[in-house]
Amino acid sequence: MQKTTKEWQKAVIGLFMLYAYNAPAEAAALYAKDVKSINNLSASVNSIPIVNWNIAGKVVSATGEALPGVTILLKGTTNGTATGVDGTYSLSVPETGGTLVFSFVGYTTQEKTFSGPGPLNITLADDAKALEEVVVVGYGAQKKSDITGSVVSVKSEDITVVPVTNASQALQGRVAGVNVTTSGSKPGAGVTVRIRGNRSFSAGNDPLYVIDGIPITGGLNDISPQDIESMEVLKDASATAIYGSRGANGVVLITTKRGKLGKPQLTYDSYVGFSQALSKVDVMNGAEFAEYKRESRRATGNYDDIDPDADAKLFQPVELESIELGRSTDYQDMMLRKGMIQNHQLGLNGGTESTKYALSLNFFQDNGIIKIQDMTRYTVRLNIDQQIGKRIKLGASTLASKSVINGYDLNPYDDALAENPLGVPYDEQGNLIFLPTNDGLRSNPLSELVPGANINREDRMRIFSSLYGELSIADGLTYRLNFGPDLIQSREGNFTGRLTNARRNNDPTAGTIENQVFNYTLENILNYNKTFAEKHSIGFTGLYSVQQRQFEETSINVQGVPAEQMEYYNLGSALTVSGVGSSYQRWNILSYMARVNYGFKDRYLITLTGRADGSSRFAEGQKWGIFPSVALAWNIQNEPFLHDVAWLSMLKLRTSYGETGNTGIDPYQTQGSLSRTTYSFGNTGVLGFRPGAIRNNDLRWETTRSANIGLDFGGWNNRITGTLEFYQQNTRDLLMNRQLPLTSGFGVVLANVGSTRNTGVELSLSTRVIPGNENGSFSWDIDLNAFANREKITKLFQGEEDDIGNAWFIGQPIRVFYDYEKIGIWQTDEAELAKVYGQQPGEIKVRDVNGDNKITADDRVILGSDRPKWQGGITQRFAYKGFDLSVFVFGQFGNMILSRIHDGDRTSLFGRYNSLDVDYWTPTNPTNAYPRPNQNQETPIYRSTLRYFDGTFVKVRNINLGYNVPTNFANRIRMQSLRIYATAQQPFVFSSYVSKYKGVDPEIDPDMTDVQTPSISQYLLGINVRF
Amino acid sequence: MKIKIIILLIFTGYLSSCNNLLEEEMHSQLTDNFINTAAGLESAVVAAYQPLRQYYGNERGMTTTVFGTDIYTYGSDGSFKFFNDYSSQLDARNTYSQEIWNNFYIGINTCNAIIERGPTVTDAPEATRNMRIGEAKFLRAHHYFILVQTYGPIHLSLQETTGVQTESSRSDIKEVYKVIVTDLEDAITKLPATTGSYGRATKAAAEHLLARVLLTRAISTAAETTDYERAATLAQNVIKNYNFSLLPDVFQVFAQDNEQNSEIIFAAQYINSPIYNGDGPNNASRFFLMEYDVQPGMKRDLPNGTPWKRFRPTNYLLNQVYQNREHDVRYEKFFKHVFYANNEASIPKVNGTPKYTVGDTAIWLPGVELPAAVINQKRYQVITPSKYTPKLYPSLRKFEDALRADNQANGVRDFPMMRLAETYLIAAEALMYSGNTAQAVQYINTLRQRSARVGKTPEETLLHQQAMTITEAELNIDFILEERARELVGEMFRWFDLVRTHKLVERVKLYNPEAAANIKETHILRPIPQDQIDRTTSNFPQNPGY
Repeated sequence: MQKTTKEWQKAVIGLFMLYAYNAPAEAAALYAKDVKSINNLSASVNSIPIVNWNIAGKVVSATGEALPGVTILLKGTTNGTATGVDGTYSLSVPETGGTLVFSFVGYTTQEKTFSGPGPLNITLADDAKALEEVVVVGYGAQKKSDITGSVVSVKSEDITVVPVTNASQALQGRVAGVNVTTSGSKPGAGVTVRIRGNRSFSAGNDPLYVIDGIPITGGLNDISPQDIESMEVLKDASATAIYGSRGANGVVLITTKRGKLGKPQLTYDSYVGFSQALSKVDVMNGAEFAEYKRESRRATGNYDDIDPDADAKLFQPVELESIELGRSTDYQDMMLRKGMIQNHQLGLNGGTESTKYALSLNFFQDNGIIKIQDMTRYTVRLNIDQQIGKRIKLGASTLASKSVINGYDLNPYDDALAENPLGVPYDEQGNLIFLPTNDGLRSNPLSELVPGANINREDRMRIFSSLYGELSIADGLTYRLNFGPDLIQSREGNFTGRLTNARRNNDPTAGTIENQVFNYTLENILNYNKTFAEKHSIGFTGLYSVQQRQFEETSINVQGVPAEQMEYYNLGSALTVSGVGSSYQRWNILSYMARVNYGFKDRYLITLTGRADGSSRFAEGQKWGIFPSVALAWNIQNEPFLHDVAWLSMLKLRTSYGETGNTGIDPYQTQGSLSRTTYSFGNTGVLGFRPGAIRNNDLRWETTRSANIGLDFGGWNNRITGTLEFYQQNTRDLLMNRQLPLTSGFGVVLANVGSTRNTGVELSLSTRVIPGNENGSFSWDIDLNAFANREKITKLFQGEEDDIGNAWFIGQPIRVFYDYEKIGIWQTDEAELAKVYGQQPGEIKVRDVNGDNKITADDRVILGSDRPKWQGGITQRFAYKGFDLSVFVFGQFGNMILSRIHDGDRTSLFGRYNSLDVDYWTPTNPTNAYPRPNQNQETPIYRSTLRYFDGTFVKVRNINLGYNVPTNFANRIRMQSLRIYATAQQPFVFSSYVSKYKGVDPEIDPDMTDVQTPSISQYLLGINVRF
Repeated sequence: MKIKIIILLIFTGYLSSCNNLLEEEMHSQLTDNFINTAAGLESAVVAAYQPLRQYYGNERGMTTTVFGTDIYTYGSDGSFKFFNDYSSQLDARNTYSQEIWNNFYIGINTCNAIIERGPTVTDAPEATRNMRIGEAKFLRAHHYFILVQTYGPIHLSLQETTGVQTESSRSDIKEVYKVIVTDLEDAITKLPATTGSYGRATKAAAEHLLARVLLTRAISTAAETTDYERAATLAQNVIKNYNFSLLPDVFQVFAQDNEQNSEIIFAAQYINSPIYNGDGPNNASRFFLMEYDVQPGMKRDLPNGTPWKRFRPTNYLLNQVYQNREHDVRYEKFFKHVFYANNEASIPKVNGTPKYTVGDTAIWLPGVELPAAVINQKRYQVITPSKYTPKLYPSLRKFEDALRADNQANGVRDFPMMRLAETYLIAAEALMYSGNTAQAVQYINTLRQRSARVGKTPEETLLHQQAMTITEAELNIDFILEERARELVGEMFRWFDLVRTHKLVERVKLYNPEAAANIKETHILRPIPQDQIDRTTSNFPQNPGY
């Protein structure tokens, strides 16, 4: 099977190349014949008697670029043609004179009268407004007014104004319905993007990313955000259904910058800045720790305040010394530093009529706020478009990226928080003390930062290409072949030296994990666009595609590396091999898609799409899924009855309904698999295999049905524009890791069960409050978006019955916090009542919901959900003369968060590890906040109830102040333009979680399980130069 | 026209190759059909042993059986102290109850697959197949036996799970014991007397386990009248019919590198190879160890081990169980009395001169109080009983593990699950309850005399041995329980012994001060894991009191 796959791949590419280089003459002949026959046809339809004038010419843009595909119509007839790929046209007209109408997306329509045969060359002017409104959609581009689905576009200016590592962070707060969270501040940390909420339990909720037409896997971390021309977010089924089985979570289309006609133009964009922790976690200082430790002993009757030697009995010498000296070590402070971030991008862009190119080199570095964590990325991008003959266009966009991420899997910060502040990290000579106290588990957190002690390094290389060949077959009909190979090679190297907490003076360990991913997409696209009788516009897109992903991994771990400087580079020299592994995965998707657009008089638009996908990952007989959609739009402002309403520039009603799928599961899940175990008999090691996963012969697509109603509006010369949308999405056959009672021998099975519903409303509004003028008078713009999504489970395994084991409840969002409800701390005068519950004063008191005088599992309640009630962002832009200022504020309201700062060692309160500086209960401090420290409770009873907080926040995400140096000055220093700017990234956070409860950042990745490197603020200076 | 043909060719090319593109080929995983082959069956049997490592020598197994009893209480460290003090945190959400439950049920499903598919594996010789089925039955019985003792009435599953099962129910312990006994009877007929690969189940192991099961059932609500007699016979078979023997020096039973000694009937297997030593970890060497490593003259090293100070002997164990130290060497042999200096930097100094040097005694635990004058004479630290703390106390040496790769590595020693000394104790108890006290006493005395002190002369030795013998009048269940404590201390029997003899609450109240206030009848069973209850679609009741 593999052979055949490869063979036909070769055949296809070979055939195409052969055709592209040898066939142009014949193709041209064929083309000419087709045009003539169409003309003849139109002529006969309109009964025009004689054809004797021939008008020919060339259509170019203002910059002199040939414009292919420009529609030319003889006014008042259906007689027309379109320009070829070189911009030329030729049209036969009756010998009476008349007017030709030249129209093209993104250009002002122009009329030209003629009174005789001959050449007629035209320069079409850019329609600034129209140009702005061309929007990339799946497998093509459309004028905004022709769009029927829900598509939001983010342009490069908005992407580059925020200095982000990962381009999807630029969507945060800018697009209604899109929720973006970053997992902490570790350099290279991933980004979670959710479009219109979550719908899936197990098949993933990440949107599909499509770069230059090619769907990719693995996010956007390898791409320089400055290379992006635009990002389009497809939200409703009409827009995403053409991506069928991968479209359910929305689609983000990324278009990279391509070459433009003109002289070579050199650009340099750069920013440099520093980052610092948003704030530190408030843990106890030495004196506070000492008192807390005493209290933990008082609680068990092991600290006698009257005994003058009580401290001497409790504390070790170093602690006693610190108490006496009032000394306290702030490990957190010693671990954090000012991070440094820099980005440099050099671009070269230009082209002739036949060849256009864009080249960019980028260097990005983020040195995190903890010494051993950083990221460096180099990217090279080359986009080329080449015209061959009149009908063929070939092009490639290729990205090569190399990145190095250090310390991503290391988390020394957690240790710094827990370290006893009464210990001393350095001896008198300034050397690190490995065990600052006599607690054998707590080695010095600073020793983790010693160069070479702890290495965790990921080297990653990626070569991603999108190659295309386009052939104009006939008027309005093009065939396009896309081929997108994507190769990722990464190696993670780990080394843990002797003097680390993990090894505690034992032999060093090392290991590597290498993996290789090869993806490819091969697409055949047929496009046809035609307008009949000036009022019927028809578009057709057909697709046949193959996608494949192949993943291989090998890993090895060793122990006893002979010398620390060998790190993980000579694993063979180590004493023992402690683990070896390899794995392989492959999946394929086959697809057919068709889309029809029909527009009548630019007023009534309809789009029909259908896609059939076959996935190797599903069971026999369940592999194919069909995803149809329909969308209708009404450009109300084009109705005659609104012609007189001058202030109304746009009013469009859109509605769509369709189905999309989700196939985001690992391969081989339909085949029950065995899991490996180890054991030994005597001195012989043996491997065992036992049932590990239940076979599921019914696995099939997860399907989402969505309905969307949208209203686009604009008025007063587009001083106000906006969009209001309502939607509802029903997802069924959810792929769920259904949890099973272990009595069956299995804890989980992947199955299609249950349904969810997302309902939401989204509003985007842009207003030019004070429009500026060309002289740089004061201007003020506001962009605002607000959105609310309600996610709920509508069905589970047994219909409408809750699944407590998974904490899934009908009518609730997928993730809720289901736990006991803390109502305070048992007080001294409640001792009797506490005893009924087997508790004592000083312990956490939870609500006895059913009042049976026992706290059992039945007393758990749904405390809240991590889904915000609503979210919104507001960007204000001010400009005056050369200065511009933008302020971007973002907020999230009404969600609950699970705070890891209030979990783990930070609130274990047993007098051993340092703790969050909390108001804990003592007999003389009858607080209701935190329980009494107690040396015998490694975790206080019901401790999990201390972690939940209101996650509402408002953040000033970004303030950017820029200055465009006057052109004449820029020219004097041999630049075309020069802009300098300063940016403050996330300077302020407003939230009760921070102000009242000692939290650091309420924007928490819900999957995070410990306290990671804290969130940061960044301050940057940047320049943009154009030579 | 050519173009159209080419395009047509391209499309037909795709179409013809598309269907096999959607077929999956597995390379890196095995599917469940593998078990139907001889090699697959072998590997499934290996996997059926794996749950033993998840329990014996493992933190969850030891935490739930060693402390919370009359002989052990908590030390200073560890997150599961509620298994000792029976506070309200010992509830259905605790992870150990859940993990023990899950691991054994996974093991049971593996055994079910072997028992069900084994007979149809045609490419394996019938003798081999039978032996493997015997092993699976032995293991299934073992897993169910732990479960029924831990949780009471439990779900019985005797068939391999092939589809989604969300229902489960609790079978009366009578039913459960019936399955266990039948499985073991069958295993006895199928298993060989000896095995070529050490560590696999044998006939003797099955007989021993059945003896233990019957001894347990005999005093439960599932009791059958012949239980004690059968238990006695089985135990005696094990003592007589195989080549097992009590080692003359009881410490040798636990000497490292001597794990495969003639007293061991069956042991959970561990190996000194990081690749094959997974699925544990065995931390038995760590739990009992006092905090020696921060004391003067000491630092943490491999021979001494990692002190996790989880389990601390109760006064009852030290003063009553091991009261007789003159004739009985077990306290002396089982506990560590001296730590030798290994850290020059922390040796105390007098006028700049170190009090002792590396290799000299740094800590001595004499086990008794000494006059201050005697203590003051010593250059090193003397820790007498009055100075015991949750961090400093006599440390059990049975599981010392100095052959690990390093101090962070998991234990590499087999964990004895059945040894001949226990067979003697089973025989004695079963005989006593069958009315044959005379013979019972014989077994007890044989076992005790093995631990009699060896004197300077044979006569002296004989005197010690005589002092170790007991009379029929002295034999009762309390004596047996105490003898079991003396002999089997730390070997994961205690909690079960107290539950079996209905003495848990009584003895814990008497001897474990940390637990006395909380323990009640509820605690003779562990809570059913909340997950099991939450995920079961049928009703799965919790144990009373939780």
